[in-house]
Amino acid sequence: MSTEDKVAIHKLATGVPGLDEIVGGGLPEFSFNIIAGAPGSGKTTLAHQFVFANATPERPAIYFTVLGESAIKMLRYQQQYTFFDPAKLPGAIRFINLSQVVLEKDLGAVLGEITKEVEKANPAVVVVDSFRTMVRKPQSEMELQTFIQRLALFLASWQATTFLIGEYAEEELRDNPIFTVADGLFWLRQTAERNSIVRKLQIIKLRGQDSVPGLHTFRITDAGVQAFSRTFGLIGHLKDPPSHRRLSFGIPELDTMLDGGVREGDSVLVAGSSGTGKSVLATQFIAEGIRQREPGIVAVFEERPQAYAERAASLGLDLDAPQKAGKLAILYLRPLDLSVDETMHSILDAVQKIGAKRLVIDSLAGFEMALSPGFRADFRESLYRMIFALTGIGVTILSTVEVDESFTEFPFSTYSISFLTDDIIRLRYVSIDGQLRKIMVVIKMRGGNHAKDIREYEITSKGVVLLGKRLTDYQGLISGIPVHSGRSSQNEEPSNGPEIKRET
Amino acid sequence: MTILLKTRDLTRCLLTYEAMAGKSSEPMEFATFRIYEKLRRSIGAFAGVAAFESLAFRALTQAKSEAPDLWAVQVAADGSLRALGEFKPESDIDKNKAGDDQVGEGGVTLIARLLGLLLVFLGETLTLRLLQDAWPDAAFDDGNSGNRRKA
Repeated sequence: MSTEDKVAIHKLATGVPGLDEIVGGGLPEFSFNIIAGAPGSGKTTLAHQFVFANATPERPAIYFTVLGESAIKMLRYQQQYTFFDPAKLPGAIRFINLSQVVLEKDLGAVLGEITKEVEKANPAVVVVDSFRTMVRKPQSEMELQTFIQRLALFLASWQATTFLIGEYAEEELRDNPIFTVADGLFWLRQTAERNSIVRKLQIIKLRGQDSVPGLHTFRITDAGVQAFSRTFGLIGHLKDPPSHRRLSFGIPELDTMLDGGVREGDSVLVAGSSGTGKSVLATQFIAEGIRQREPGIVAVFEERPQAYAERAASLGLDLDAPQKAGKLAILYLRPLDLSVDETMHSILDAVQKIGAKRLVIDSLAGFEMALSPGFRADFRESLYRMIFALTGIGVTILSTVEVDESFTEFPFSTYSISFLTDDIIRLRYVSIDGQLRKIMVVIKMRGGNHAKDIREYEITSKGVVLLGKRLTDYQGLISGIPVHSGRSSQNEEPSNGPEIKRET
Repeated sequence: MTILLKTRDLTRCLLTYEAMAGKSSEPMEFATFRIYEKLRRSIGAFAGVAAFESLAFRALTQAKSEAPDLWAVQVAADGSLRALGEFKPESDIDKNKAGDDQVGEGGVTLIARLLGLLLVFLGETLTLRLLQDAWPDAAFDDGNSGNRRKA
C-alpha cells in the first residue's frame, strides 16, 4: 500500500512539554487511551494539559468526574498551573459529574448518561476521571467487557479522543480487559529512592505511533507535567557529518600535542586529582572558543556561576562580557533530585538558544552528586546518551573528572567512562626533586595522531602553562614517583607524534 | 473588593435578573428559590450532588447565624431545601410556597453564603463563568473596574 493510500492519522498536541516527541509527534486523533498510575503520580494533571491544549468551543472537551475528587476541589488546585485557562470553562471544557448514576444504577445507565452528554456536546476530547471508580462495583466479567467495548466504540465513532484515568496496579496489565481495548496506555510511576522522589513515564502501548520506548523522567512544576525524552528531543535530527576542524585550547603547546587541537564534535575528558587544574583548562577551552567566535556553555555543579566567572577573571579570562552578549551561558545545575534528562534539557535549551559549539561539564563528579540517588545507578548509561546526542549535533564537549591520585596506578577515570570519550587528557602530580610538580599527557585521541609526550606544566596567572620540553630525565613519571634517569631533556625530540616546537 | 462585598453584589445581580424574569407580583422568595435551584442543578451537574449538598449545608449553617428565619430549613440529600417536617417536590419549588415562610429574607443570605463558598474555592473568574453558564443572559460585574461584562 502506498503512502497516499493509507489513512492519515492526525496527531494532536499533548500540551505536555516533551511528551509529543515521546509519543511520536503527537497523540493519534480519536484514540482511546488509559492513563494509569498510583495516587499523586500526575494522571489528572496530564489529562488536564491535554484537554486545555485541544478543547475549543466548537469541539469542546467533556471531563466526566466520578467518585473521588470533586470537580470543585480539582479546579481549585488545577487552576494554579500556568496552562489552566479559565476562559475555556465552561464553554470549551465542561465538567460533568457521574457519581449519582454510578452509585445508583448499572453500567448500562452509565453508558447511557455518557452517550447523552457526548451526543449533546459533540466533544473532541472525553476524559473519565476516575474510570476505575466507575467500574468498581461488582459485575460480571462479560458485563464489564461489554461496557468497555461499547464505550470505546461509541467514543471513537463520535470522533472523540478519549482518556480514561485509573489507579491501576501493574499486575493488572495482563488480565484487565481495558488494557486490551485501549489504543494508548500511559503509565506514570512515582517512587521514593532514599530521600528523593523519582517520577517516570512509560508509553506501554500506542497503536499506530512510533513512540520512544523506555522510562522517561518527568517532573511536575507550576507549568504542569513536563516530560524529558530519553532521546533528548533529537529524534529525526540528522547527525552532522564528521568535521575535520580542530578547536584550539588557546594553549599552543597543548594544541600541538593534540595534533592541532580537539576535533570538532569530540568528547574530551580531562582527568586529574584535586588542584591539578582541570577547571582551569576547561575555562581556557571555553574562553578560547569565545575568542574564536564559538559560543559556549559551561555546566557547573560545584560552584556558582559568579564564582566561576570570578575565578576565570583571575586568569585574565573575561566570561562576563560574553555572557552579557549572549555568547556564553554558565548553567548552575544543582537542584535536588536532578535527572540526567532534565540536565540535558537545560543544556540543550541553552545550546539551541545561543548556538553553542563548545560545552564544558565541570565536573562529572559534581554532576553525579546532583542527581537523585535513583538516577546515579544509570549515570554511565545516561552520560552515554547525553554525549552521543550532543556530539551528534556538532557540539564539542569537555568534561572534567576527578580521579584519586594513586602512586601505584594511573587511572583515567573512577567512572569507567573513558569509552564515552574520544580524547583523554590526564593531569597528575609527580614528585620530582623534592617538589610536587604537575605533568600532563594525552592518553587517547580517537582518529588523531596525538603526541606521546609527558609534559610538565604549571598553573599561573595566565592559566595552564606548559613548561618547555617533554620530560626525558625521568623514568616512571606516570607512577608519580619517577626515578632520575640521568638523561638530559634539552636535546630530545618529541616522540611518535606531531612535531612539538621547542621552547627556549 | 472583599468576598462579602462580591457575594452581595452577585446576589443582588441574580435577584434582579430573576425578579425581572418572574411575575412582577411574586414575592422575592420566589426569585430566591429559583436562584438556589439553578445553582443546585448547575453545580450538581458540574461537581456532583454530594458536592453541592456539602456546600449548601455549610452555606446554610453560616446563613443561620445571620438570619434566624432559616432556623427550620434543612438541606436534603439531593441538595434541595426543606423546612422541618415537610416534604416538597423539587420540581414544584418555585410554584409551591411551602417553606417560603421559613426561608424568607434569609434566603438571600443563604445564596450570598453559597456564592461566597464558590468564590473561596474556585476564585472569582471560575465562579463568574459558572454563573454565566447558568444565567447566559445575565451580565455580571467583575467588581474590579466597574466594567460590566459577560463573564
